[in-house]
Amino acid sequence: MSERAGSVGGTPPQIDGSASAALLKAGRFFTRWDESDDGRAVFREGGRAGDVFYRDRWSHDKVVRSTHGVNCTGSCSWKVYVKDGIITWETQQTDYPSVGPDRPEYEPRGCPRGAAFSWYTYSPTRVRYPYVRGVLLEMYREAKARLGDPVLAWAEITGDPEKRRRYQRARGKGGLVRASWGEAVEIAAAAHVHTIKTYGPDRCAGFSPIPAMSMVSHCVGTRFIQLIGGVMTSFYDWYADLPVASPQVFGDQTDVPESGDWWDATYLMMWGSNVPVTRTPDAHWMAEVRYRGTKVVTVSPDYADNTKFADEWMPAQAGTDAALAMAMGHVILTENFVRRDTPFFSDYVRTYTDLPFLVRLEPADPSQGSSSATEAYAAEPGSEGSGPVVPGKFLTAADLVDNGERPPSEEAWKTVLLDEATGEPVVPNGSMGFRYAESGKGRWNLDLEGVTPALTLEGEASEAVEVLLPAFVEPDGTGSVLRRGVPARRVHGHLVTTVYDLMLAQYGVARDGLPGEWPSGYDDVSTPYTPAWQAEVTGVPAEQCIRIAREFASNSEESEGRSMIILGAGVCQWFHGDATYRAILSLLIMTGCMGRNGGGWAHYVGQEKCRPITGWISLANALDWSRPPRTMTGTSYWYMHTGQWRTDGYSADSLASPLARGHLAGKHTADTIAQSARLGWMPFYPQFGTNPLQVAEDAAAAVAEGNVPNPAAYVAQALHEGTLTTAIEDVDAPENWPRTLVLWRSNLMGSSAKGNEYFLKYLLGTHSNVMGSESPDAPRPSEVRWHDDAPEGKLDLLMSADFRMTSTTLLSDIVFPAATWYEKHDLSSTDMHPFVHAFTPAIDPPWEAKSDFEMFHLLAQRFSAMATTHLGVRKDLVSVPLMHDTPGEVAQPGGRVFDWRGSGLPGTPGVTMPVFTVVERDYTAIADKLATVGPLADTLGFTVKNVTYRLEEETARLAAKNGVMLGGAGDGRPAIDTDEKLAEAILSFSGTTNGHLAVQGFHTLEERVGKKLADLAEGAEEKRITFADTQVAPVPVITSPEWSGSETGGRRYAPFTVNIERLKPFHTLTGRMHFYLDHDWVQDLGEALPIFRPPLDMHRLFGEPRLGPDGAKQVTVRYLTPHSKWSIHSEYQDNLLMLSLSRGGPTVWMSPGDAASIDVHDNDWVECLNANGVLVGRAIVSHRMPDGVVYVHHAQERTIDVPKSEATGRRGGIHNSVTRLLVKPTHLVGGYAQLSYTFNYLGPTGNQRDMVSTVRKRSQEVTY
Amino acid sequence: MSTFLWGVLPYLTLATLIGGTIWRYRYDKFGWTTRSSQLYESRLLRIGSPLFHFGILVVLIGHIGGLVVPESWTEALGVSEGLYHFNALLFGGIAGVCTLVGILILVYRRRTTGPVFMATTKNDKLMYVVLVAAIVLGLWTTLVSVGAGSEAHNYRETVSPWFRSIFLFRPDVDAMAAAPLQFHVHAIVGMLLFALWPFSRLVHAFTAPLHYLFRPYIVYRSRDRDASGSRPARSGWSAVGTTDRDRSSR
Repeated sequence: MSERAGSVGGTPPQIDGSASAALLKAGRFFTRWDESDDGRAVFREGGRAGDVFYRDRWSHDKVVRSTHGVNCTGSCSWKVYVKDGIITWETQQTDYPSVGPDRPEYEPRGCPRGAAFSWYTYSPTRVRYPYVRGVLLEMYREAKARLGDPVLAWAEITGDPEKRRRYQRARGKGGLVRASWGEAVEIAAAAHVHTIKTYGPDRCAGFSPIPAMSMVSHCVGTRFIQLIGGVMTSFYDWYADLPVASPQVFGDQTDVPESGDWWDATYLMMWGSNVPVTRTPDAHWMAEVRYRGTKVVTVSPDYADNTKFADEWMPAQAGTDAALAMAMGHVILTENFVRRDTPFFSDYVRTYTDLPFLVRLEPADPSQGSSSATEAYAAEPGSEGSGPVVPGKFLTAADLVDNGERPPSEEAWKTVLLDEATGEPVVPNGSMGFRYAESGKGRWNLDLEGVTPALTLEGEASEAVEVLLPAFVEPDGTGSVLRRGVPARRVHGHLVTTVYDLMLAQYGVARDGLPGEWPSGYDDVSTPYTPAWQAEVTGVPAEQCIRIAREFASNSEESEGRSMIILGAGVCQWFHGDATYRAILSLLIMTGCMGRNGGGWAHYVGQEKCRPITGWISLANALDWSRPPRTMTGTSYWYMHTGQWRTDGYSADSLASPLARGHLAGKHTADTIAQSARLGWMPFYPQFGTNPLQVAEDAAAAVAEGNVPNPAAYVAQALHEGTLTTAIEDVDAPENWPRTLVLWRSNLMGSSAKGNEYFLKYLLGTHSNVMGSESPDAPRPSEVRWHDDAPEGKLDLLMSADFRMTSTTLLSDIVFPAATWYEKHDLSSTDMHPFVHAFTPAIDPPWEAKSDFEMFHLLAQRFSAMATTHLGVRKDLVSVPLMHDTPGEVAQPGGRVFDWRGSGLPGTPGVTMPVFTVVERDYTAIADKLATVGPLADTLGFTVKNVTYRLEEETARLAAKNGVMLGGAGDGRPAIDTDEKLAEAILSFSGTTNGHLAVQGFHTLEERVGKKLADLAEGAEEKRITFADTQVAPVPVITSPEWSGSETGGRRYAPFTVNIERLKPFHTLTGRMHFYLDHDWVQDLGEALPIFRPPLDMHRLFGEPRLGPDGAKQVTVRYLTPHSKWSIHSEYQDNLLMLSLSRGGPTVWMSPGDAASIDVHDNDWVECLNANGVLVGRAIVSHRMPDGVVYVHHAQERTIDVPKSEATGRRGGIHNSVTRLLVKPTHLVGGYAQLSYTFNYLGPTGNQRDMVSTVRKRSQEVTY
Repeated sequence: MSTFLWGVLPYLTLATLIGGTIWRYRYDKFGWTTRSSQLYESRLLRIGSPLFHFGILVVLIGHIGGLVVPESWTEALGVSEGLYHFNALLFGGIAGVCTLVGILILVYRRRTTGPVFMATTKNDKLMYVVLVAAIVLGLWTTLVSVGAGSEAHNYRETVSPWFRSIFLFRPDVDAMAAAPLQFHVHAIVGMLLFALWPFSRLVHAFTAPLHYLFRPYIVYRSRDRDASGSRPARSGWSAVGTTDRDRSSR
């Protein structure tokens, strides 16, 4: 035995006592071994045979780069390890390009959810084979054997009500049987051919969300749907991820900073966004920036995970955020504008916002009429002083011309301000009137050309008038009127004031000499919108509100706009989320933070940023073959087609302002959707009560006879005469049902289907847990026909492709086994980082799985073959609304509602009606077209945001690279017949990934803007990001006019920096960021200015119990469905690893107080129910939760541990069983500048936050 | 009947025990475990487990002493029949009661602690029934002996010779047949337990890490000289993946 080092006096250290020393001594006596000096370790040779297993377990043959297409915004690149052809595990990639010195890096990115993904590859939930509903397959085989034709067989089954009902009732009840790919594809193709032939292509729908999470898969399926003339329903607005305030304020869908830009912030608020949970790979920036001294503030009703990181927590009660924001705005306007001029702020708002623009004031008394009466009023100077006024429309250049003169049409789109120096009206560059008109070339910019706009009209020349403004301060949401005052002047006979003056009136910031009632100070509890008033509403102390507002503003001033607010679903997904957002955005805009690195809004809800947007959207919509595509606002589509309008408890009246002019009076929500479609504001499909193929034929016949000049005129006339009806007028009639629905990359029925039980009942025709009844007392629409017997089971075919069994696949008639994200080629991007990177197959799809790409090509081939006998070449009359970023958005000046119906005049297509276009569809060539880039790419180019990219060179280059197809419709055209080639095409046709196009686009834009822009991309002309590049490492994108920010010179991406720094206008009416919206409907809802609107009162609207415990068995609470730490939507919540980390199965987070009120202890089974349905889950009783709110994490699916409900006896539902759709009419506005439709840009949100539910304790014995 | 029970059954049991153990060792090395439930519950385990395990070790020693050591040997040492039995009953009784109480605690714990019960297999349940039966029956033989006092049956003249004769391959069926009922039942259940042994978690007894007591905690193992520890190289053309994929028909 060797000497022990460090021992004192030769005594070995006695760590384990004498007994163990004796045992060791005995061991040494019998065995010889080498040991360490302290005798605590022994050295042996060999005996490592057991290593083989572990070495084998962690060995691999190759590592493949891929990612997860899961709409988490992570877009994290991963290494996937493969051994013996088996995927073993994944680890994070670490090769993101550096963001530069002195700041943290993007790598590593990832979270436990992504690290658990490979479990799915071989999991029990994997879909391995094509499945068809058993009863349907039997009937189909029998019919096909007899009739010999798939299409006839499908026609017979769906034409027989009894047979149709049989398989519809079986939906969601098992009974899926294996079928071959050949047979399953045949049935799906036959269903599409039959539907197009019998009902029309616009009865075929497809839904697949979030292109950025796997662009190629999204693109190929959408392309198929668009080539056949089908309808793609939207997702961004449908998910309520779209902040409608963004189009309203910025004229942009959404553009946000990458997470690396959080590091540039010097004051960081997280408002309704739980960053560590929902932006896990990016949260480190938020933690790290604190080490730079940045203060971090959170606003959330619960003690959320991000609150732990915060320096300060503002616990605003759920749904009251706008009250807090309004009060902060009150403080900032008071202290930084009125009491003291802050040049940094006032210079900014003069140039970049609508604050200096003039708004006409109209008499408040509605009896004096609306617009036409106002003209008379304005022309009669003597009538002022006769009563209070209300703000009306923006003053435009058209209002400045002398009577009798007829100004050019664009003058109505040029807004006006006053020169501070001269007091004269000025029509500055940059408003919508400069965007499309020939006269606006080179002048669509924000250059004020030396004019200093007057922010306020205060001064000698002005008169003080009393202005009435709506407010919604009652908890039940009813409106009241605020009496305030503004300084006004007369310009060309019109009484006007500025938006800034109206803002001060709205926020209650008093100035001397103005009439009206004003708050007495910050401590005025009863007058909106003071800090003390908000304290009563939100529970946030007035003192804290004032302090944070001051810190926020002084930081912006000192740092030059580096105050940032990270916004999220916690505030966005409310019914009035747009109003809340506008109140919050106002804080950022008035303090000059938008368009700054480290400042502005950072809205992260959904992986919305598909960076190579031009290539993706143009190829997805098959714009290279035919235009326009049929795209649809998801919310109104499902609201109407799932019968949710039938039980909607409110009409537009219950939302209206007390000062409303009656544009929405008496209208049911369904009426507003019908009107919006009729006026060309929003799309609605199906279009007409007649097959559009038939309409096109009728139109051609009418044109041939010389009755009408063109097909569009025929449609306008037929609609006017009533010989043609819109489908929405009788949406429940069988000819107007959606007949086929293709779902891929989506889990509609397990995740996003608000009003899930209505989907089951009305759309799918299977059993449901709809609890309410169609009350005869509920308001009914006047413009949509009511059928006493509601149709159940509208859909003939629900087809889905997925790699795992979900709530959706369980309800589907045909389920295709899809490849996972580790089994296909694809592309990924996100708003959180500026890189594009690849999915790569680590293995071939196992069992009989195939990629979405392959599935759609098989479907297209089978479809085209069947079409030769059943369809052939047809003409299709396509109806689309007036689109944003096209000249269509200047169709309806003044934001006035002009309804051709009821006017006695036919509407004008493209002006007061949708745009009607005839599209030729060669149904036999769908497969050929799907696999090639069509000729319109060369002749018309691709247009995004009104910048057209000319692509002759690019298609030639692509043809050389990908090769061309031979024969058929795509003869000689560039091939995109594999997923890799399609990825290459997407990258080739986008400015962000093709420097040549970025420079070309900037040059095109320069002509209109008249300012230098191309230098942002110059030097990158030769830079082409190829698909191979993205497979090597994540590649940073190129600055391009497709987006509003700049990455030039390695800069971190922040939105709108190009607008701010290069004076490029926002895509809005004034070309500036808007505080004020003057559309008729927006004004009638009382939301012309930023405002607080409380959550909807479900007691008043739907008869739900009032909030709070009833003292006995149940408690009524706000039913919120935020995102979970252990899942991304429905993904991972069924993953064994995540189930082990979480409690697993359906859970309901409750406060201890609410739980005690109904005697519920942690882990007890409870039921949440309301008129929409029921959810059964286990209570998680936690002090994290405030009273009056439960959290039922989003997308806990029926596949995991869902027992039968006591309330219905049937299986309890999913989180969306307790929700329903509620449509806000202002989201339906169109045809008016930034308030115009574009897919995912604007549309009603599928919000669900306002739901309330009663929670009951149930029997703890559960059965399945 | 006696011939089968005491002449054939012991060999069937031994064959099952030895053959089963070899089979289990070869084919289920990763299943060779107690499937410890300490993670789920440790409070009761800390009392019940040592009580049972130390008890059963003493019981084991007692059985070896009683069955393997011939009576003539102890008599030669001057230990009288009475003294031997007094000792056997006293210590055997105490150990038996400890074992029984220990296992009852463990079974109670297993049934009432949700996660532990969920981790209990049918195999475990069968094993527990047999094990508890063997212990109870063993205590029964002890109780009967105590009750009978000096009249108690001397199993060292019947059971023990039979036990030893088994391993000499000359089973003394008559000796065992002469023993009273309680010993017969106990022996049969005991054989059943040994037959179950290789197929249940009881195998852990064979690999109790006794040698851990006699070596330092930390063991560093260098590789074998023949560089084992890596899996054998597989030829690159060997088939991988699944065949189902190729079966799909378009």
